[in-house]
Amino acid sequence: MAAISAILIVLIAIWPINNTLAVAATSDYGIDALFKFMLYFAAPIFVFVNGYVLYFARRYKHRRDEPADAVGIPLYGVVPLEIWWTVLPALLMVVLGIWSAVTLFGLYKPQAGALNVEAIGHQWKFELRYPGLKSSFYGDFYLPIDRPVTMNITSADVVHSFWVPQFRVKLDMVPGMVQQLHFTPTQIGNYPLVCTEFCGIGHGDMRTTVHVVSQADYDKWFSGEQQQVAAASASAGALNLAAGVVSKGQAIFEQKCAVCHNMAGFAQKKVGPGLQNIFSDPAHPKLVDGSAPTPEDVAGIIEKGYSGDIGVMPNAQANGLSSSDVANLVAYLKSQSK
Amino acid sequence: MSTDTIEILRRTEAPIHPAPESFVRKYIFSIDHKVIGVQYFIVSGLMILLSGLFAEAIRVQLTAPHNTFLTPQQFDEAFTFHGTLMVWFGAIPMVTGAFGNFVMPLQIGARDVAFPWLNMFSFWTFPPAVLILLSSLAFGAPNSGWTEYPPVSLQAGVGIVFWTTAVFTVGIGATLTALNFLTTVIKMRAPGMTFTRMPLFVWASAVTAVLSLVATTALASALGSLFLSHVFNVPFYDPSRGGTVVLFQHMFWFYSHPAVYILIIPVFGIVSEIIPTFARKPIFGYKLIAFSTVSIALLSFMVWAHHMFTSGLGPWVTLPFMILSMLIAVPTGIKIFSWTATLFGSNLRLTTAMLFVLGFLSTFTIGGITGIMLASVPVDWHEHATYFLVAHIHYVLFGGTLMGVIGGVYYWWPKVTGRLMSESLGKWHFWLTFIFFNATFLPMHFVGLLGMPRRVAYYDPAFQGLNLFISISAFLLAGSFLLLFVNAFWSLKKGAAAGPNPWGARTLEWMIPSPPPYYNFKETPEVYATPYGYGEPLPYSAPYNSVSTTPTY
Repeated sequence: MAAISAILIVLIAIWPINNTLAVAATSDYGIDALFKFMLYFAAPIFVFVNGYVLYFARRYKHRRDEPADAVGIPLYGVVPLEIWWTVLPALLMVVLGIWSAVTLFGLYKPQAGALNVEAIGHQWKFELRYPGLKSSFYGDFYLPIDRPVTMNITSADVVHSFWVPQFRVKLDMVPGMVQQLHFTPTQIGNYPLVCTEFCGIGHGDMRTTVHVVSQADYDKWFSGEQQQVAAASASAGALNLAAGVVSKGQAIFEQKCAVCHNMAGFAQKKVGPGLQNIFSDPAHPKLVDGSAPTPEDVAGIIEKGYSGDIGVMPNAQANGLSSSDVANLVAYLKSQSK
Repeated sequence: MSTDTIEILRRTEAPIHPAPESFVRKYIFSIDHKVIGVQYFIVSGLMILLSGLFAEAIRVQLTAPHNTFLTPQQFDEAFTFHGTLMVWFGAIPMVTGAFGNFVMPLQIGARDVAFPWLNMFSFWTFPPAVLILLSSLAFGAPNSGWTEYPPVSLQAGVGIVFWTTAVFTVGIGATLTALNFLTTVIKMRAPGMTFTRMPLFVWASAVTAVLSLVATTALASALGSLFLSHVFNVPFYDPSRGGTVVLFQHMFWFYSHPAVYILIIPVFGIVSEIIPTFARKPIFGYKLIAFSTVSIALLSFMVWAHHMFTSGLGPWVTLPFMILSMLIAVPTGIKIFSWTATLFGSNLRLTTAMLFVLGFLSTFTIGGITGIMLASVPVDWHEHATYFLVAHIHYVLFGGTLMGVIGGVYYWWPKVTGRLMSESLGKWHFWLTFIFFNATFLPMHFVGLLGMPRRVAYYDPAFQGLNLFISISAFLLAGSFLLLFVNAFWSLKKGAAAGPNPWGARTLEWMIPSPPPYYNFKETPEVYATPYGYGEPLPYSAPYNSVSTTPTY
């Protein structure tokens, strides 16, 4: 058993965790080292408990030639042994506790010259805000390599979680409070950012990509975004409902909206209500101020999303809808309404 | 009445109530702890089964990364029902209501629990709670997991009202049972049964009762706040109106951490009974095992925030919770080592019950080790709320609680029914369950460490291979349980008569006929020594010292 334990410990020692799951942020957190340390003592505990159970089960098994009333030895305990297996694990836990505590305080230490980024959880997308950029990102975002990052984390609605597996760190995005997560990306590459705290029906798809790039690429991306913001605000892609095309709206509806909505009466629910006759059906609850909705109201709901008695619907940005998409959808919904 | 008179009444034939005659008083509104135990066993057994079916639905959905077997809404309901049913309606009533009720009073030589009528009332809070919970399926089911963290749980509509009401109702029964058991263990032990002569299952039942009694009140406040938030729009958990989201997590885990010990401590008791019986020797380190049970219970009230290491408590709050959580490894290790040491120098009988207990030793050790890993905050930051956590809890609750419970079923089945189960079928059941249990839950560690969060209806296609393997294993794991049902029905119809003591055990429940008579003990037994003295004469007064302790199965 000692030999098996030793072999396992050697295997664990030479196992490059980095190959199994890349480490793409500051490795001096010591999280992987801590994990390995725990595997070092886990392996012998597992091997010895199972080994002794198997060995005793074979060695002391009741044999047919023994009398039926045979009993084992009357051993009620061995005090020194019991002291050993109380004190040794306790000492081990003290070592582990001290190591963990030191690592823990390191995780909370802010780094000088850090890039401050805000991450806000929404149902069901991550919003990222950079200083110097006017608009937020919903989706892929970029971080420069080897520059400390302070991620300021919160949520706009329910509890989400910010986790990049390759960065090894995770904190919950809690509405009503801001947490800081400190890390330094150390490897160029694309990594998933996933939500791990259950946040509603879109939880499974609440993933995006963080691109860790060189400082030069980052600067290029950043200035490009600055220009885009300027261009966008100049042309002001306003919503033009009159330009909506029914057939295009139908295509978008079937591709996106139909996941949650039927084109049928209000009561024909999937996740949200059925949407036929949305402008005229008296069974349809009056969504706006007690009166039947106007096309502008419906466009507003598609754009801003909905959260209330009927359920929750993500907004246009989360659904990946442009202004013209919204106009097309409203045109299609109008065509399906008496 | 003077103390002497009470003493005489206890020792000689105290008057016996006649057994009830009508079907309703006998089987439905019974006040007999044995019947109530069986009632709990049947209802909680059905709930475990139903919960398992929800788990299989989850596994069907996860065979493909974007499966359409369930909508996300249905998937969320499935894992909510799986967790809720398993914790409150399956496992807790099974280990306290079923095993505690049937076995504990017999083991202390009592005729019933302290408050038999209250015991009946406790049980009858249980079926209505089940109905309330299941009826929510017709009105909009709860769908935010068994933890129901607000604010997301408050978006779910009326389901949360059903959920809080159902769990609250079952909590009333659990609290009353705890009160009942604690009184029973303190006041109704047979003369001569000092605390250090109590069977270890009795120790476990008493400690569990303390946990239930203290912790369930915190759950009640958590449930109540959620109910008020939904029904009366009280802004406990709405930060825009001054609420604090994390408050719920504190109240919930102040109950739910002790609750995982409510789930496992009775199983420690079951294991501590089965091992000496089949090792044919005294349990190793009785006092340290009993003491470690008490210390686990004490520590369990001081570690709740280890479920919240990512919730934003900051380093100085998480630190003590981390240290205390790690400390639990010490008493848990004592138990594992003592059980293993009991096998040394034994005359081992590898019955089905014993195999399940040896399987428990193996799988629970893994669950304990991953528990230490999760206790270390920096490592927890990577592992929290991923499939690693799912693997850990299933190694503890399936590999621990359920393995021990099945062992207990095989062990006490002859006492309850008077008939033996098939050992060969039982051994098949053990090996299939043990193999497919590990095939199901071991890969979950890896898929979690590699980056798959829990509670997701859709996942990154990179994890499809492992998930498919896990799902197939889970279906086979469910299939292995058919053998248990076949065995149970076969035994009821055709099983051989068990006799009072088929395993040659030495605790008091085996000193009376199987199934036990209505009044358990016609005369109150006297106890002279620990029950685990294998090879010595039975330490009980006549006529309870005449049963053969030679295994006869």
